[in-house]
Amino acid sequence: MAAAAAISTPPTFNLSSGNPNSSSLPHLKLTSCNVNPSISYSQSLKLDRNSRFLTAATASPSSAVNGTNSFHGLCYVVGDNIDTDQIIPAEYLTLVPSNPDEYEKLGSYALIGLPASYGARFIEPGATKTKYAIVIGGDNFGCGSSREHAPVALGASGVAAVVAESYARIFFRNSVATGEIYPLESEGRLCDECTTGDVLTIELGESKLINHTTGKEYKLKPIGDAGPVIEAGGIFAYARKAGMIPSRDA
Amino acid sequence: MASSAVAPTSSFLVDKKDVGFSAVCTQPSFPCSAQLSKRRVSRKIVSVMAPQQSERKPSTTGAVKTGMTMTEKILARASEKSQLVPGENAWVNVDILMTHDVCGPGSIGIFKKEFGQNAKVWDREKVVIIPDHYIFTTDERANRNVDILRDFCNEQNIKYFYDIKDLGNFKANPDYKGVCHVALAQEGHCRPGEVLLGTDSHTCTAGAFGQFATGIGNTDAGFVLGTGKLLLKVPPTLRFVMDGEMPDYLLAKDLILQIIGEISVAGATYKAMEFVGSTVESLTMEERMTLCNMVVEAGGKNGVVPADSTTYKYLEDKTSLPFEPVFSDGGARFLQEYRFDISKLEPLVAKPHSPDNRALARECKDVKIDRVYIGSCTGGKTEDFMAAAKVFLASGKKVKVPTFLVPATQKVWMDVYSLPVPGSGGKTCSQIFEEAGCDTPASPSCGACLGGPRDTYARMNEPQVCVSTTNRNFPGRMGHKEGQIYLASPYTAAASALTGFVTDPREFLQ
Repeated sequence: MAAAAAISTPPTFNLSSGNPNSSSLPHLKLTSCNVNPSISYSQSLKLDRNSRFLTAATASPSSAVNGTNSFHGLCYVVGDNIDTDQIIPAEYLTLVPSNPDEYEKLGSYALIGLPASYGARFIEPGATKTKYAIVIGGDNFGCGSSREHAPVALGASGVAAVVAESYARIFFRNSVATGEIYPLESEGRLCDECTTGDVLTIELGESKLINHTTGKEYKLKPIGDAGPVIEAGGIFAYARKAGMIPSRDA
Repeated sequence: MASSAVAPTSSFLVDKKDVGFSAVCTQPSFPCSAQLSKRRVSRKIVSVMAPQQSERKPSTTGAVKTGMTMTEKILARASEKSQLVPGENAWVNVDILMTHDVCGPGSIGIFKKEFGQNAKVWDREKVVIIPDHYIFTTDERANRNVDILRDFCNEQNIKYFYDIKDLGNFKANPDYKGVCHVALAQEGHCRPGEVLLGTDSHTCTAGAFGQFATGIGNTDAGFVLGTGKLLLKVPPTLRFVMDGEMPDYLLAKDLILQIIGEISVAGATYKAMEFVGSTVESLTMEERMTLCNMVVEAGGKNGVVPADSTTYKYLEDKTSLPFEPVFSDGGARFLQEYRFDISKLEPLVAKPHSPDNRALARECKDVKIDRVYIGSCTGGKTEDFMAAAKVFLASGKKVKVPTFLVPATQKVWMDVYSLPVPGSGGKTCSQIFEEAGCDTPASPSCGACLGGPRDTYARMNEPQVCVSTTNRNFPGRMGHKEGQIYLASPYTAAASALTGFVTDPREFLQ
């Protein structure tokens, strides 16, 4: 991965994504500690993400710490300004994401706030997981509240990655913080190019998205500042590496 | 040395093409910023006044410091650096961390997982825990979440926990406050120059006190609980200069709706919004809070109003902790500057379903409404209720639609029931509201601003049209997905209640 080389940079680093309309991350972290209570803390994050993400992909783990190289599956297309109330309506916020049972319940309500104009339901009635691995969004995805329940609900429902034209900052930050979904930025409006149900593959290493249904390929923006922190394994791991906090076993 | 974010080419445009927008910029000689031609497509501003900057001393070496904005300075001081530029990431020391009943339990869960079940928070006096979102409900999980907060506060000996146990009578809870952002201000936790983080997007409200305040998620909060620090990226600053005397039919809510309509819901993404000018200086603290509250609705990272005598006066009886205010340098560089002549503005609404869907209130007078909601951190403070009372008093008539009143905190509730409204012959807001036929002021909390559990007071459970003093109107915000929410000032909300249609408050105030 292009970001792998940035691991060695010191904690304070300048943004190099070169994207003026920047959703380049202040910092990102993966601590999806919610998923499986039986996994011990030290190994929980990467194992879980890998097992969810590597579906049909045959890519072997790269030098990247988490080993995730690609995402594959059906896509669900939404529009601009999908706010956190649409992603997870406020009435479900009594569910505590760090509680495994409630984590799963959150997932079952992902995107339930979308208006009726969205013909295809994100999660079939009666189901608790979605069949769509990738969400394609427009501008300002995740705007609104700071609730971490939003990326958590998407991740818990089975989404592996979101590809949006741009993100609201707290949502983006929380996505990487939780490691629940991989937040990617497209070049241009993929939400106009893809249709719900299209089969997609995202090749992270090449920053490429392939729509198998239409036969088209698209360039994605490199993950930028998010890279080093994702590679380190999240803000806690990143901080431990930088000596900001003691290692867990200390 | 400056990062690309503040490169001159991206900052000050001097194209003074005057794109008159509705009735506001009738006189080309008054500087006004151009309306976006199409809200969704373009976020480019066509005409922006070049800012007046004092001349910067030429640098003789590359090591000379650049002037910093107040946001940059606050973060620099908090990260113990002499200089920061936008785009830099810094480990920032946190002065106050706030959390509430919705995000607190999750943050606590992460804190314990990462730092150990027996870990202690970094400073028991810097964590402020304020249950406020889902309080007066029979929802068991919601009630349990307050219990989780209590257990944690007991275990950690948290100094500031505004607890509630008796849900049937809020007054029976001496510690309970209500809406976190208003409580933070009223209890003296907001101080100029400090860094305040909260697990709520409207944490930016505290920027009214000249501090850096922004919302974060559970994982970040868990990190702060253990370390008292967070890695933050320094945002570039957009400067909003508001001059002119505030007309007596306008409130700060109108000002921020004006701005959000101008720059769109993503116009300030990853940026700081700095509010200056004679109008801003004339605003009370509560009005400044309203202004900063909706910074997040423009995508902003934080909002700031420089501290002044108004700030210090407000803080006199609220905090005994020392503070050191911070101000933008004369040579500070701003990403863009917008100027407004406030005397030209008119009461506004944000139509469904976006806070940037700006329209003149008077142009929506044919919109029939079903209810009015006055409350929340945005529009449920003492002065917001006084403003609404003023309109009802001027009318003398009764409301035509159910009008829900939810004071933000216990203190606000007390004020509504005790403070005399000017010009009323000694009547309190509550008396005026009763005479106007409004609902009885409810128990203080976030209430129906965000819908909440099904039994939340004033929740919109049918597809109705509501004028609300709250902050967001995306689909389903107050409950029902097909509900239509018009965001407005307390003046406009009260006026609309009196007619049963979206109404410009000048119908009653002039």
